[in-house]
Amino acid sequence: MSEGVTVRITRYLMALVLSFFASFVAAQEGVLDRPPERTYDIVVASGFLKVGMYENFPPYSFEQDGVARGIDADIGRYIAKELRVEFRPHWIVPDETLGDDLRNNVWKGHYLAKRRLADVMMRVPYDKKFAYMQDSTGEYMNEQVVLFGPYQQEQWQIGFNPEKIGDVSTIALFQYHPIGVEIDTLPDFYLSSTLGGRLRNQVHHFPNVAAAFDKLEAGEISAVMGMRAEIDFEMQQRTGSGLKVASNGFPGIGKQVWDVGVAVKHTHRQLGYAIEAIIDQMVRNGEMEALFGRYGLRYTIPAYYDEILGVQEE
Amino acid sequence: MRSNRIGKQFAASALALAVSFGAQAVTDQDILNDQDTADDVVSYGMGLQGQRYSPIDTLNTSNVKSLQPAWAFSFGSEKMRGQESQPMIKDGVMYVSASYSRVYAIDAMTGEEIWQYDARLPDGIMPCCDVVNRGVALYDDLVVFGTLDAKLVALNKDTGKVVWIKKVADYQAGYAITAAPIVVKGKIITGVSGGEFGIVGKVEAYDAKTGDLVWTRPTVEGHMGYVYKDGKAVENGISGGKAGLTWPGDMWKNGGAATWLGGTYDADTDSLFFGTGNPAPWNSHLRPGDNLFSSSRLAIDPDDGSIKWHFQTTPHDGWDYDGVNELISFDYKENGKTVKAAATADRNGFFYVLDRTSGKFIRGFPFVDKITWATGLDKNGRPVYNTKDGRPGDPSKAEGDKGESVVAQPAFLGGKNWQPMAYSQDTGLFYVPSNEWSMDIWNEPVSYKKGAAFLGAGFTIKPTNDKFIGVLRAMDPKTGKEVWRYNNPAPLWGGVMTTAGNLVFTGTPEGYLKAFDARTGEELYKFNTGSGVVGTPVTWTMNGEQYVSVASGWGGAVPLWGGEVAKVVKNFNQGGMVWTFKLPKDRVVSR
Repeated sequence: MSEGVTVRITRYLMALVLSFFASFVAAQEGVLDRPPERTYDIVVASGFLKVGMYENFPPYSFEQDGVARGIDADIGRYIAKELRVEFRPHWIVPDETLGDDLRNNVWKGHYLAKRRLADVMMRVPYDKKFAYMQDSTGEYMNEQVVLFGPYQQEQWQIGFNPEKIGDVSTIALFQYHPIGVEIDTLPDFYLSSTLGGRLRNQVHHFPNVAAAFDKLEAGEISAVMGMRAEIDFEMQQRTGSGLKVASNGFPGIGKQVWDVGVAVKHTHRQLGYAIEAIIDQMVRNGEMEALFGRYGLRYTIPAYYDEILGVQEE
Repeated sequence: MRSNRIGKQFAASALALAVSFGAQAVTDQDILNDQDTADDVVSYGMGLQGQRYSPIDTLNTSNVKSLQPAWAFSFGSEKMRGQESQPMIKDGVMYVSASYSRVYAIDAMTGEEIWQYDARLPDGIMPCCDVVNRGVALYDDLVVFGTLDAKLVALNKDTGKVVWIKKVADYQAGYAITAAPIVVKGKIITGVSGGEFGIVGKVEAYDAKTGDLVWTRPTVEGHMGYVYKDGKAVENGISGGKAGLTWPGDMWKNGGAATWLGGTYDADTDSLFFGTGNPAPWNSHLRPGDNLFSSSRLAIDPDDGSIKWHFQTTPHDGWDYDGVNELISFDYKENGKTVKAAATADRNGFFYVLDRTSGKFIRGFPFVDKITWATGLDKNGRPVYNTKDGRPGDPSKAEGDKGESVVAQPAFLGGKNWQPMAYSQDTGLFYVPSNEWSMDIWNEPVSYKKGAAFLGAGFTIKPTNDKFIGVLRAMDPKTGKEVWRYNNPAPLWGGVMTTAGNLVFTGTPEGYLKAFDARTGEELYKFNTGSGVVGTPVTWTMNGEQYVSVASGWGGAVPLWGGEVAKVVKNFNQGGMVWTFKLPKDRVVSR
């Protein structure tokens, strides 16, 4: 018997055992009402990958005509294709902090739906400080998840209506001109507190960036602050409206740029390694940038790669 | 409605028939007289004023030791988080709600189930405030309650079948209902719960029989109230007169002030009293001003929802002193005159006595051992802030790895949280289920939200004593004196009831239903129900015997928070039961 055949039979048996195991596990889990353990082998045997994405969050992830669209959906789709499994969206309703979202969607499950977990969650900031943060009793707060695979660097951006304001040289302008933000975001907090609160009365709150842009286009406000991809995307949606992106700085914001990656449960590292390799390839071979380009968005490679690629060029 | 198991079907429907045969519809009069009648409990608060005082004295300090369990009922399934409900009793049937928006009708004699209703909750629902439910309202032949997806559901009291369902608010926008509605003049009155998602609190009245909206009153300054005539909304004045008086910019549009604990009603002044929650956003430095009507008590006209007066306990709240606490009406004599008063024990640690006809401050005093955020109250009841180190810092000014930590006492879970206190007409004392804890708050150096950098606050709750967190206190509303106290190791999270038998009942997270002497605080009775008691006890008489009932099942907000308090409570097991006790006839005369 050749080695090839042995491997094939072993693989077949493995798959058989695994699929039996998976269905057994599924049956058991249903009774236990605890989060399913979907390790790499189980994901592959099950034939699908549940990709966690924030709902109604263009251009990252949103549904259009029943289809998951956006940057994060397309990356998820690409990963699933490479793993040779079906892509299945897992929509996330954002909670108050990232820690809550990771708990509800990656490792523990929400107490109303303990079994509803994503295999991998997109748009998780890649930050060692966050990953190793300790609580008041010294416990690591995020030890239940692994954060990896940075795929994009994100930053803040203002879009404005040039008919209202000539140019955004500094944010001091918004002492005099109304500016829109998504409620309870950093732009909200930043504009409401900076310069001793002198911009506060000009800050208009909206449920999301798109709603703010509607008012920007209607001339009710002069500018909108959000994430660069959000601003770029809304500009794309409104070509011909004459809106422009600003080039001002944001003095006083502690974190001007940040890397965004993905997360899996800490016991699912093997799945993580497989996904990490796929993302890394996408970033290096230009697929990632092309993907952003298809949505009309600027792309910045994560700072994580600065050093790595720098070393490679030597 | 979950159908009963087949074997039980016949028995249950036969029972339901038997019950409905003798059962009377609940009338406005029944509800108005609830505090005086011994054989039913048809309002949340055992009387709309919310005194939780029973005139029954069969059970008293000398015979309470003979109180015996009569039956126990399991809510079933694995849904065992936090049973904060107050049972209702009418014509030998108990109506009680449970976690995850479930309601049960139970034969109050035998503990046998008559029907069960499980609200079908939507997928992906994210209730802000745990999955508790605090009770139902009864009116006519209806059992009405609020659901986690912010609906009012009216069920037929005999069959458990849905009569009407009304959406009160959009759960997708962050709203929920956990409080028990109340019924006033044929109207179901409800508030709403909501997290930090830019919600606006409101109080609404619905026609009890049809479920039609009668009026709506937003609890944040600047929002228009409406009354509904023939299905049309008619403007009824902006809350607070106009927008922007006590809020900067457009922040009033998403100001918070959720009315998540429901309200009380005083027929004497014809006023609804509702507490309102904390303002949004959490960072108080962004919203200079009083931020009305957050962390306040509102007197509302039950006919059209107009605000008669307001009293704000924590203006410009920066500690999450979510002032929803119940305002209990009571009369007392001073210098030969009767004072129409109302009292509330606030999250912020102060106990307030107000003139309930005008909302004017009469007096206030701390009911907890220590308050750090304010040095006292001025003559109008407004806090005198500790401006030195009392308020958590401005995150935009934070530098370095971790912002400066501020210690605040009480912790944000409050000197008293949701759990209702009781007032005895015999002793003239309030029995306040309170907690002694503090919190550290700092600006989180690394924080993200929805894929983006964020400015968050970190906090941890700490017990202030080694031996106890919970304190059941007897407070004299005339002097501010603590007459007696009972210290409990775990935080107290259940409601209190007092009786003409000079008894004070409450539950503990350790699982006990306890009874104390209302005059001295001596512990006279305890029974372990098998899981933490965070519900509110009730009492009534049936066939000449006095019964006491309480829901058992550990949960609520305490186990959701980590820190050092978690160490005290982490071994408590969850549950989901109603325990019913009675004093057998032959034990009434104690020997």
